Amino acid sequence: MTTTAPLLEDTKLEPKAGGFYRHQNFLTGLITGIISAVVFWAIAHATIQGSNWGSDMVVTVTLVAWVVGFNIGIGSFNAVLRWTLGHDQDHEDELYAAGVGQGWKRYFKFCTDHKVVGTQYLVLVMVLFAVGGTLAMMIRTQLLTPHSRFLSPETYNAIVSIHGMVMIIATIIMVSGPFANFIMPIMIGAKDMAFPRLNALSFWLVVSAVPPILASFLLGGVDSGWTTYAPLSAQSPMGQDGFAITICTFVCSVTVAGINTIVTTLTMRTTGMTMGRLPIFVWGSVIAGALGLYAMPAFLMAQSALITDRVVGTSFYVSMQGGTGWLYENTFWIMGHPEVYVILIPPVAALAEIGSTFARKPVFGYKILIAGMAGIATLAIMVWAHHMFTTGWAPNLADPFMLTTELISIPTGIIFLCLIGTIWRGNIWTRLPMYFLYLFLFNFIIGGITGIYLSDVPVDQYFHGNMFVTAHFHYTLLGGAMIGAAGAVAYWFPKVTTRMLNERIGKTAFWMIAIGIQVTYFGQFWEGFQGMPRRVANYNALFLHANQMSTTGAYLLMAGWIVFLYAIVHSWRNGEKASANPWHAKTLEWHTLTPVPLENFLVDPVITTGPYTYGEPDPIPAPQPEPAVVGSTSSQEGAH
Amino acid sequence: MSVTEQNTHESHDDHGSHGHYAEGGNHHDTPQAKHRKEHIALWLFIGGDAVFFMLELFFWFYLRANNTGGMWRAANCTKAAQAAINGAGATASNMCTDGLGNAITAPITKAAPIHTIAIAVLIVISAAFVWFMEVQARQGASRKATTPLAGLALIFVIAAIVWQIVQFQVLPFTTVDGTYASTFEFYMGSNLAHFALVLTIALGVFNRSRKGLFENGRWYQIHLSRLFWVWIAFSSAVLAAVAVLFA
Repeated sequence: MTTTAPLLEDTKLEPKAGGFYRHQNFLTGLITGIISAVVFWAIAHATIQGSNWGSDMVVTVTLVAWVVGFNIGIGSFNAVLRWTLGHDQDHEDELYAAGVGQGWKRYFKFCTDHKVVGTQYLVLVMVLFAVGGTLAMMIRTQLLTPHSRFLSPETYNAIVSIHGMVMIIATIIMVSGPFANFIMPIMIGAKDMAFPRLNALSFWLVVSAVPPILASFLLGGVDSGWTTYAPLSAQSPMGQDGFAITICTFVCSVTVAGINTIVTTLTMRTTGMTMGRLPIFVWGSVIAGALGLYAMPAFLMAQSALITDRVVGTSFYVSMQGGTGWLYENTFWIMGHPEVYVILIPPVAALAEIGSTFARKPVFGYKILIAGMAGIATLAIMVWAHHMFTTGWAPNLADPFMLTTELISIPTGIIFLCLIGTIWRGNIWTRLPMYFLYLFLFNFIIGGITGIYLSDVPVDQYFHGNMFVTAHFHYTLLGGAMIGAAGAVAYWFPKVTTRMLNERIGKTAFWMIAIGIQVTYFGQFWEGFQGMPRRVANYNALFLHANQMSTTGAYLLMAGWIVFLYAIVHSWRNGEKASANPWHAKTLEWHTLTPVPLENFLVDPVITTGPYTYGEPDPIPAPQPEPAVVGSTSSQEGAH
Repeated sequence: MSVTEQNTHESHDDHGSHGHYAEGGNHHDTPQAKHRKEHIALWLFIGGDAVFFMLELFFWFYLRANNTGGMWRAANCTKAAQAAINGAGATASNMCTDGLGNAITAPITKAAPIHTIAIAVLIVISAAFVWFMEVQARQGASRKATTPLAGLALIFVIAAIVWQIVQFQVLPFTTVDGTYASTFEFYMGSNLAHFALVLTIALGVFNRSRKGLFENGRWYQIHLSRLFWVWIAFSSAVLAAVAVLFA
């Protein structure tokens, strides 16, 4: 099986004459997007400005033109165009699209290789977290003293809104972007995702969605909170248009990504990889993808109607003209609560992989864990109105929604027990990923139990508008999901980057993060118990100490994340070279070379047992990454 | 996980297209496998679009049932608005205004059903042509048989789009005139967006048929196109029925 033939990705492809798309990259996307935005701004400004909703319409047209222009410029629609014209891409075109022979430049192109897309997502997520985290620090700095003038109230509101949505976007893609793209296809023995071009499209749509929401700051901000409740959002400054365009674009991205994940799992599994042998992370990715497919159209509907309210004067949410804000709230939360589990399920599934690997045990209650995730996904679509207990909408439905919300604690508890059962009495190898599993268990039980309090209508009446809720969902999303994602980064880092994550720096970061979370959010629970309202720029001196505690913790937390980021960047550049299977794990991604070759495996694997056969010898040893040994695959022969 | 090796030479490819991304970006697939993937993906996409479609219906019936301030079609506003114009008895609570703040001086009339129905009929006819085209292609018809059908389908899609734009021009209300007007125009906008997608597909189907790319049993892209087309025709017909029957 060994040969001296070069790997496929080392092949040099000569540019074709007239092959414009071969010159497309991030820069051409940027230029095309900007030109498109400027041209359409000029046209809109000349023809629409001065009409009744001129400014909002001009902004909307401009930002849509940016999104479309950028994606045209980077090549997102090339294949569609060529299909429409009847000129399908040939084999060499497809190799080029997969990044063959392009080295680092492929990371700035519309590259269809799932590993490139996964890496692109990983970097994008870190950038988004840096933006969202910086905004969070500005919020906490403002709240350090009762009557701070660090930010104006308007700026504070805009920062709260944009921090919220940037973080929501980042957390939705933080695991499903990098790892459901990079790792999941390898886990099932596939050579790529089912639809490589859709995969690249999903990524570049997110990239094009980022500038509109950041442009919100220049357009008067978004003063309606991250939920952008109507009718307030219908009257917000023009920044709201950027916010809505971002969400509509992001919805398209999540939709195609979800479809791709599901189809890949259903149709691309290697021989013997039955559904009952799928690693738990694959199940988590599929369930989250399916839930996103249900939830995201509601987000699109809510924001589309909001845009038309603002731009062409419809009255969906304006009660003076017959609309109602409750329509927005319902639609938003029909998306909003499932979205929490779209965020949460993939990291939890990743942590189950980590628990199994480092406890040298199968995932405890494999089928029950899958049922738990599916149960959460099912119940998640039946609980949305618990976010509206205090609004006065349909009081008679409060009890049923309280019941469904409390019911969701059952599958959540099952998942929790499965994670504990997986490591229970295991021969635990305490490496950095395990630290994050422990921290997740600690944080998530706090976030989960406080969620049960909030599902109770009388308790929610008191807590809903105050900082208790803020602490609860940060414990869940940051203390739970983000910590799970950090564990996933630590776990799969060697496979993605070919280097080991520096554990000394990583553990330093871990302890700063772990302590930072407790100080920050216990501070916010304290604020909540004292009755401090959330979303306020100034507060009574009564809440001073709790806020000082929370802000101090937040600085420590941010410092911890910066150290973690440093660990990633430092290790990526200078880290110790990783072997193919440094954790001696059993799932398939560890049974291929590091770096992973273009089509993932030198030979097609055939699966004969379940994914967690610890204690049993492997039929074949994990391949070693000696550079002299390179593989011969049919694909290479196809390339030559 | 226990694994054994299987040489990729023996893998799923039965038509000699070894190599990454052969056959239009779907590496190593047999036509059947490729068809299956795209089939599932399309149904998932339709499922997502169906959620959006159901929410459109939800908006319609929710706003219609609430009829907040009598502003579903502003049928109850005339008297108050007239009073406002005459300067007699107008108050903030009884004066109906549109989205521009102007008093509404006449009830908002329903959209003429002829346009709504005609647009739905046009898109249904175009879907029928594609369906018939698929039948022909499955029976091994040549490009000479399929291209006219693709052309007719394309023409009917374009006609539906044009008529939809015309309907926007002739509606007896604008977006600012209450929730019926808002939701109706949103429906029509949704139609346009979906028809634009269908137009892209129609252009592709026509071009590819013209080039003979659906000959020799290669009909599955027509099948996929037809599935989406029928979904759009169906959803458009339902929207039309709702808009006409529950105005």
